[in-house]
Amino acid sequence: MENILEVKNLCKKYKEFELHDVNITLPKGMIMGFIGENGAGKTTTIKAILDIIKNYTGEIKIFNLDSKKNDMKIKENVGAVLDDMFFPEILTPNDINAIMKGVYKNWDSKLYFEYLTKFALPRNQQIKTLSKGMKKKLEIVTAISHHPKLLILDEPTAGLDPIARNEVIDIFQSFIQNEECSIFLSTHITSDLEHIADYITFIDDGKIVLSKTRDELLENYGIVRCSKEQFEKIDKEDFVKYKKNKYKYDVLIENRRDFSKKYEVSVIDKITLEELMILMIKGEK
Amino acid sequence: MIGFIKKDLYMIKSNIKLLMILLFVYLIMAFQGQVDVSFLLPFMSVMIMISTFSYDTYNKWDAYVVTMPNGRKNSVRAKYLATIILIVITTIIITLLSFGVSYIKNHSIDLENMLATIFGSIFATILLQSIFYPAMYKFGPEKARIGIFVVVFGIVFIGGIVANYINLVPLLEVLDFIGAYWNIVIPIAMILMICVSYKISERIYLKKEM
Repeated sequence: MENILEVKNLCKKYKEFELHDVNITLPKGMIMGFIGENGAGKTTTIKAILDIIKNYTGEIKIFNLDSKKNDMKIKENVGAVLDDMFFPEILTPNDINAIMKGVYKNWDSKLYFEYLTKFALPRNQQIKTLSKGMKKKLEIVTAISHHPKLLILDEPTAGLDPIARNEVIDIFQSFIQNEECSIFLSTHITSDLEHIADYITFIDDGKIVLSKTRDELLENYGIVRCSKEQFEKIDKEDFVKYKKNKYKYDVLIENRRDFSKKYEVSVIDKITLEELMILMIKGEK
Repeated sequence: MIGFIKKDLYMIKSNIKLLMILLFVYLIMAFQGQVDVSFLLPFMSVMIMISTFSYDTYNKWDAYVVTMPNGRKNSVRAKYLATIILIVITTIIITLLSFGVSYIKNHSIDLENMLATIFGSIFATILLQSIFYPAMYKFGPEKARIGIFVVVFGIVFIGGIVANYINLVPLLEVLDFIGAYWNIVIPIAMILMICVSYKISERIYLKKEM
């Protein structure tokens, strides 16, 4: 399968934070959810992919092209929504259309205005007068109106109410109908990803700790709810992390079927991405 | 790049009123024969363009622009070109008005004197742009503004002290030379200043972490 985005051994050092050997592979036509708590390195990784930050080591390829040497070719086909980074707020959606016509060769004014109408976004109002949800929708509409092949989104649903979030997810789903298109989406609202992501990549403290298909994760991974005595019988190699609660232990396992064959425990639950994130971050080994 | 120029020009739409008021003030003062304030309009246009840096910083436009094709280069180039376009437009307006006022009042036009005033005013605005823009890109609008005022004040202050102790004749000779050949020296100096300033700004912006 052809890869649309490849990040190899990405490292970036700040005074108090470091990205360590980040590796990401996103195949064409797929949606990858990039999850992790605040400050884990999601935005830094995205900024490196988009060349917003400099002085990193490693290799980044987009559409199989070196991102440092092919800025023009790559950016013509990439749409980005970044957390709190957009046009100056004194501009209007109409201004954005006029500006973008002179920025992207493939800018599609008709599509842009269709989306503005669909999402009831005003054309002549300054961005600063729009609500947070409307502004986010405008950012997304702006990012997809030049027919990009890759969408890179940093926390696109953060701070939105459930209805706005649902509308935003609908946009992504209609975008991905074209099999040539892919989405790389960072979020800490993991419930959004359970419906749309094909791959989940989990970053913690600047390191990729897990990268698998969503089905593999949600079908195979599980949480064993057991007593202290039961927990003590489990081999260390047979679980990923555990968390001690008041009366029981939550134990993260990689394969529910294999585990249930080996151990006699009464409760093995399917996992949600949120539980996975909590156990991976807060759990012990 | 056209898109980026449009962005900077759209951002100053709301300031057009201010320029109109200045134009009105100029006309009143010109007809009353008071102080010539024709230099104010191009000067104000640069100051207005400088204010767009603050909007850009506030909305993190500098990071967003990098997501666009050749965003870093085009953004800097557009900022310089939009400013020059604004200076040219305001200069043409003020030149035509100066000619008109002069003709209505005196039935004659003192061409050389007027051109000298206009060239001097463009030179001052280009100088302002050439110093301010690289500083804006390097330090951001807040620090750059303070920094430049401190540096200018420092130069004037130290220059004032030094001038008491050195022979100023060679400097006056240079100024006489510029005065004699202003129509050649000033355009060349302006082109050089803007080119050097642009190259410095571009270099800063291409390497900058947003």
